[in-house]
Amino acid sequence: MSDSDPDADGGPSVFARVVAPFVDRSVAERLVISVAAIFLSILVGFALVLVSGRIAECSTAAWTMPFTGLGFCYNPFEVYVVLFNGALGYPFAVGDPGLFNPGWTPFNLSFGLTLSETTLLIFTGLSVAVAFRAGLFNIGTQGQLVVGALATALTVLALAPLLPAGPVAGLVLIVVGTAAGAVGGGLWGAIPGALKAYADANEVITTIMLNFVAANVAYVLVLEVFRAEGSSVVATRYVPEYAQFPSVLFPASTDFALIALLVGVAFIGGLYYFVEHTSFGYDLRTSGVQAAAAEYGGVNAKLTTVRAMTLSGALGGVGGSVWVLMSEGRWMASVPDLGFDGITVSILAGNNPIGVLPAAFLFGVLKGGALEIGFRTDVPTELVAVLRGLIILFVAMPEFFRMVGRYTGVAGGPGGAGGASGASGSGSADPDESAGGDGGEADA
Amino acid sequence: MNPAVHLDGITKRFPGVVANDDVDLAVERGSVHALLGENGAGKTTLMNVLYGLYQPTEGTVRLDGEPRSFDSPRDAIDAGVGMIHQHFMLVDPMTVWENVVLGNEPKTWGGLRVDGEAAREAVVELSERYGFDVDPDATIADISVGEQQRVEILKALYRGADVLIMDEPTAVLTPQEVDELYGVFDELTEQGKTIIFISHKLGEALSAADDITVLRDGVNVGTVAAADVTREELAEMMVGREVLMEPATSPQEAGDRVLEVTDLDVEDDRGVEAVSDLSFELRGGEILGVAGVDGNGQSQLVEAITGLREAASGDVRYRGESMVGKTRRDRIDRGMAFIPEDRQERGLVMSYDLVENGILGSQHDPPFANGGRLDWNASRDHAESVIEQYDVRPPDAEAEAESLSGGNQQKFIVGREFERDPELVVATHPTRGVDIGSTEFLHDRLLELRAEGKAILLVSSKLDEVQGLSDRLAVMHEGEFTGIVDPATVTEEEIGLLMAGESLDDDSVEGAAIHDAAGDGTDDAPGGGSDGADDASGNGIDGATGGGEGVDA
Repeated sequence: MSDSDPDADGGPSVFARVVAPFVDRSVAERLVISVAAIFLSILVGFALVLVSGRIAECSTAAWTMPFTGLGFCYNPFEVYVVLFNGALGYPFAVGDPGLFNPGWTPFNLSFGLTLSETTLLIFTGLSVAVAFRAGLFNIGTQGQLVVGALATALTVLALAPLLPAGPVAGLVLIVVGTAAGAVGGGLWGAIPGALKAYADANEVITTIMLNFVAANVAYVLVLEVFRAEGSSVVATRYVPEYAQFPSVLFPASTDFALIALLVGVAFIGGLYYFVEHTSFGYDLRTSGVQAAAAEYGGVNAKLTTVRAMTLSGALGGVGGSVWVLMSEGRWMASVPDLGFDGITVSILAGNNPIGVLPAAFLFGVLKGGALEIGFRTDVPTELVAVLRGLIILFVAMPEFFRMVGRYTGVAGGPGGAGGASGASGSGSADPDESAGGDGGEADA
Repeated sequence: MNPAVHLDGITKRFPGVVANDDVDLAVERGSVHALLGENGAGKTTLMNVLYGLYQPTEGTVRLDGEPRSFDSPRDAIDAGVGMIHQHFMLVDPMTVWENVVLGNEPKTWGGLRVDGEAAREAVVELSERYGFDVDPDATIADISVGEQQRVEILKALYRGADVLIMDEPTAVLTPQEVDELYGVFDELTEQGKTIIFISHKLGEALSAADDITVLRDGVNVGTVAAADVTREELAEMMVGREVLMEPATSPQEAGDRVLEVTDLDVEDDRGVEAVSDLSFELRGGEILGVAGVDGNGQSQLVEAITGLREAASGDVRYRGESMVGKTRRDRIDRGMAFIPEDRQERGLVMSYDLVENGILGSQHDPPFANGGRLDWNASRDHAESVIEQYDVRPPDAEAEAESLSGGNQQKFIVGREFERDPELVVATHPTRGVDIGSTEFLHDRLLELRAEGKAILLVSSKLDEVQGLSDRLAVMHEGEFTGIVDPATVTEEEIGLLMAGESLDDDSVEGAAIHDAAGDGTDDAPGGGSDGADDASGNGIDGATGGGEGVDA
């Protein structure tokens, strides 16, 4: 375009100026931004550890600042080294001669914990991502996971006595149990989908409310009906050992199964193919980016909404199945916030199924590393939580801005004329060339 | 004597773009000067420099020979330069005189009270001086668009403007209002005011201006006296090559009845009846043009036919089959092609590349989909063939739709829909924003489809387009056809009356033998002298739709 007039009314709004640089970025640029964000967050966290270390009281300083001789209770270098190194089970020999620890194998306890978290978050991250791609904000992955987990536990417990114990029965139970989780979560996700499509109920509100409904209904059901005899907590009986994902290679105490991770990776590939290479995937993401264009292209908006929410719920439900069959071995009332973390994972991943893998892994590392910091240093867990939060915040923000920018139609570079740039008053506003200004054009 | 406005070697660069390249422009006091060019030629940028919205990268702005530099429109207004935007900046619930003085009210009580009496007096005096027929006490919401424009002019005059810049002033006017505007021009120039107006319509520049400056790709191609130049010469200056001005229609046998609309009622988003009790039919090999001021139900009519909006009552039959209850998908499958009016909302997914956009609407159909799986190779071939045939630039199937200029986006949509091998083409503003050269091509393609026996419903705000291409021309007003006329014999004035909702006394043309006379008739009718008005009114229909930000200041 040869006539790219910036907006005439004194430039874009503050919002648009903040958001615009993030909207039109290539994948490579976004990766660079993410890595830079991690370093920046470490820098900020570093300062935070120093300040806290100065305020806190301790008998011996963990670190003395060179030249100044000031003592600090926490060693910021150690914190981050332990965070990342510890999450992998100390592959790097920090402080000792040599770069690598000779005795290190990937199949250690710490790394197992990291990968276990990664595996669970792959499913919830995919669940949120697929809804996002359809333009739906599914906050209800947590509830779908709770329902899916309960469906899995009850199905496996009900079927186990009917089959002879053994690996074959284990395989059948895992497959059927996971399918039950998918159905349970899918149905639970279909409810807000149908409410959105046919009753115009905002899915953000309904999915949040259904989270509470799911948690409490499941709690009461287990408390009153399915509670394991003699159990001190509200939980079902354990599913048989052979019906759980086996911990191949990794120590059994990690609650991690490589097979489950591979299933997760297969789901990532499958979902990517579905979104990018199928007609329904095209319908779904077109509805997400430009609903009016999807409708024009013959997409049934209501049906697509229900389908996308069902699929999203089913993925959340599978997450619940894996949680039961890999981590806990039973359904219990204290379900971790995997569904909520899935939202951040999805944002980190730019709602791209492929991106969910590194995003979930980063979360896994932070989780595993945080545990290690607790073991190895005197740094309080609260401070570690702050450091984790900083990293996530820094990495997620650019992607979040990008999402918001796309949603509100803020365009980035001079060539990009956002479809709905009228709302924010940014982007190029020459009516001859760009959006919304169609009114200006009727020439001989 | 120094020219009233002299732009001396103005260059304006934006990152990566040169919008104006060493443009000289001299405008004599008391003259009407048209700044003519295609979309994106840099007209608006140049005027924004004069109005102080942009600072020129190079060059000087001189008023009466004095070099000036404006940091903001405020400086420009103080120096006597006023600008009237395409979309008016008026406060609807306030009266005419209140709007005129807004921001510069005469005050009493030490600035605490607006002196309404004096203000009203000043406005009345001003409008009498220029012979404006505007009631100072009328509310803006109650007066016509033409009157609103005069209020805008009054506003600029009240602020002491000597030079008036008008951006596409006829874009929102009916043909009658355009004539009145030209009268206002005469009045103003007689009193020594200077008028510069931006236009991309040849006829308008020829009939209203004393001098015409043509911009192309940011460069001044030349300044000519309107009296010494022909329409064809101007078109060539604008486009850079010779242009065939009139599409060549030929007689055509009407085929089967493709579309039959019976007693159709359609409501708009607010539940207000937008199309009322409309009936018509359309046959294969026929182009039915729909003209009218935008917002008279054309959008709702088209949406009801194409399946994007449910009709409140009535029937749409397509090739003998009732479309009531049929989804958009059903209608696409049955061979309805649709060029939507809002290309960036509906016609294209802006963040998709052209490969992905090329299958919009066909994403479930072979050869692009096989058993639910998309074949991106077939899609790419398709996109590339559309790009090549319809001259979409840049010729890059991987380019995102939002990176294309409006005209190229439009060409891609038109190409995609035409290549669908449709039985019915519903085309709304098919050449909006498309340059003259490509318009010619798209018109030819429309006529080819007609020759192949396709039925075409053509809704356009360009009167010369609908008049030149259509076999029958329906004029729409407040949801009804005020008349279906023979485009070959109808006059500009008659269409204007129909657009304003009045019926013709002798509308015997309705239902006239449609096809036989189409050939020669259409060639002559819109040609020559009436073209100026054609263009003006064609545009008139348009402005109302524009998104608010169409204003390009």
